[in-house]
Amino acid sequence: MSNVSDKLLIDIGSTYFKVSTDTSIEQHFRDFNKQILDDLNHKCGETVQRYEPDNIHICSSANGGLSTLIIGLTESYSLKYASNIAFNSGINIIESIVFQNIEDYSIPSDLIDVVIIVGGIDTNGGVFDERLDSYLSKLNYSNVVFVGNSPDAQDLNERIKSLVVLPNIIDDRLHIVEAHLKEYLTNLYQQDIEGKEDIKNLYDITGNQIYSTPYVVNKSLPHINAIFSVTDPFILLDIGGATTDVHYSKDLVSDNIVTEQGHDRIVFKKLGVYKSRQSLVYTAEQNEFAYELLMHLKVTENIYKENSEKATKVIMQLAIFLVLSEMSHYRPSYVTLKLLAMNSIVFTGGITKVLNQKDIEDVVAFFYRKILNSDHKPVTVIDRNYDIWTIGAKEHASCQ
Amino acid sequence: MKVVTGVIGNDIHVVANRLMDLSLNARGYEVFNLGVNTYLEEFFDAAVETGAEILLISSLNGEAEGWGREVKLLKSKYKSLDNLIMMIGGNLTVGSGNAEDIVPRYKNYGFDLVCHQVDLNTGLDMLEDYIKEHQHA
Repeated sequence: MSNVSDKLLIDIGSTYFKVSTDTSIEQHFRDFNKQILDDLNHKCGETVQRYEPDNIHICSSANGGLSTLIIGLTESYSLKYASNIAFNSGINIIESIVFQNIEDYSIPSDLIDVVIIVGGIDTNGGVFDERLDSYLSKLNYSNVVFVGNSPDAQDLNERIKSLVVLPNIIDDRLHIVEAHLKEYLTNLYQQDIEGKEDIKNLYDITGNQIYSTPYVVNKSLPHINAIFSVTDPFILLDIGGATTDVHYSKDLVSDNIVTEQGHDRIVFKKLGVYKSRQSLVYTAEQNEFAYELLMHLKVTENIYKENSEKATKVIMQLAIFLVLSEMSHYRPSYVTLKLLAMNSIVFTGGITKVLNQKDIEDVVAFFYRKILNSDHKPVTVIDRNYDIWTIGAKEHASCQ
Repeated sequence: MKVVTGVIGNDIHVVANRLMDLSLNARGYEVFNLGVNTYLEEFFDAAVETGAEILLISSLNGEAEGWGREVKLLKSKYKSLDNLIMMIGGNLTVGSGNAEDIVPRYKNYGFDLVCHQVDLNTGLDMLEDYIKEHQHA
């Protein structure tokens, strides 16, 4: 293993890319008229050339996350376990379907990246009948994986085209088994990142696998206290141009799933302040409190159409509010966190370059007052120099 | 036969739960013990995931009374649990009460077998008799 300080760490975002050496960290706005590799070589060519391909480690979040639809037998076990694994693999859940009522669900019109089918312990077979085939035949999806009971696996393998069969995620004690599905979904995410946005050209300069940024950032969380004064339980918001990643202490979730890691994560695929600005505004328009936030910030909805420094700032504050709302009981469709128990809230990503401490604390306080009716005030920590990504990338690079 | 068991509600009395687990195993059942602090939905969901034939709920702090009222409504939402044998045992009321009042009440909630302050082995004998009776029927 070579010394981590000899390594060049690169993060490709949808809007910016960052390049970190042992002495400095640079950030550049992407030139969308150029391929990523050309842009990188143009702006940081000299730095890149100083390193051997094996010492260059790249991660990317430029493509957001994947989407999944989960079909499970019950809410308390199969759907809960599969949802937990999907979230941790950076996958967005479009729909969760309880199989016994599958005929009552509408068919999503969007292309689903991966359908997960799960249910039953290995001694309980014959639970997925032809209603499953019928539903899948109407669904538009790219991948389908079965992680349920083994007796059904063989049968479904013959019935469903291109089905990937993995070991059951529910063991005989009704406990969760994460490893296989997590690896499969993480690899899918990988392939998605590598396959789009000309990320694959970056293999010309690196001899290492390109990982997703949320995966790398998640690696830094056990070490966050080395650089910041953060008290558990905490959440980390990485609000970027196209997506927002939320990493949170497991103590903030009520689910009694016993897993090895202390921090889970969710990727909000269409919640970003630049590339996903339009969908962020759409989400804001669906949130009755967002209007009040605009009033609180002394602006009107016309700000959405503006392209000013002030508009960028408001959009970023709106992003913070919307992400916290999505994680609260106000929007129960996503993971609900016990936000009143949260002691620290850490911000990283592009917003730390625009918003100051007061701007952020103002919107966090507004959220607590409006949504949670509380004066609770978690300590706000701002990672202005991408230190969190750097320690995650170093940690990850040292393991490769 | 497969049995799902556990302690209902916010009840952490684990000793009887362990004894029940051991006794059921000794009698040859395949036991899925959900432990203490288990909600009604989790019992039914576990029965679906495991394909259990028997659901055996226990209670010591008497909280079962409140949860019991929801059994029929909740169970009716499941399409594969019509033949599930529903049994409840332990201390089934808060304060004092007698079996003559309590048993019919719980049967009305949807339980097939109700054991209020009944010895564990006696209760499990009742279960075996019930199974035999219904196998012959």
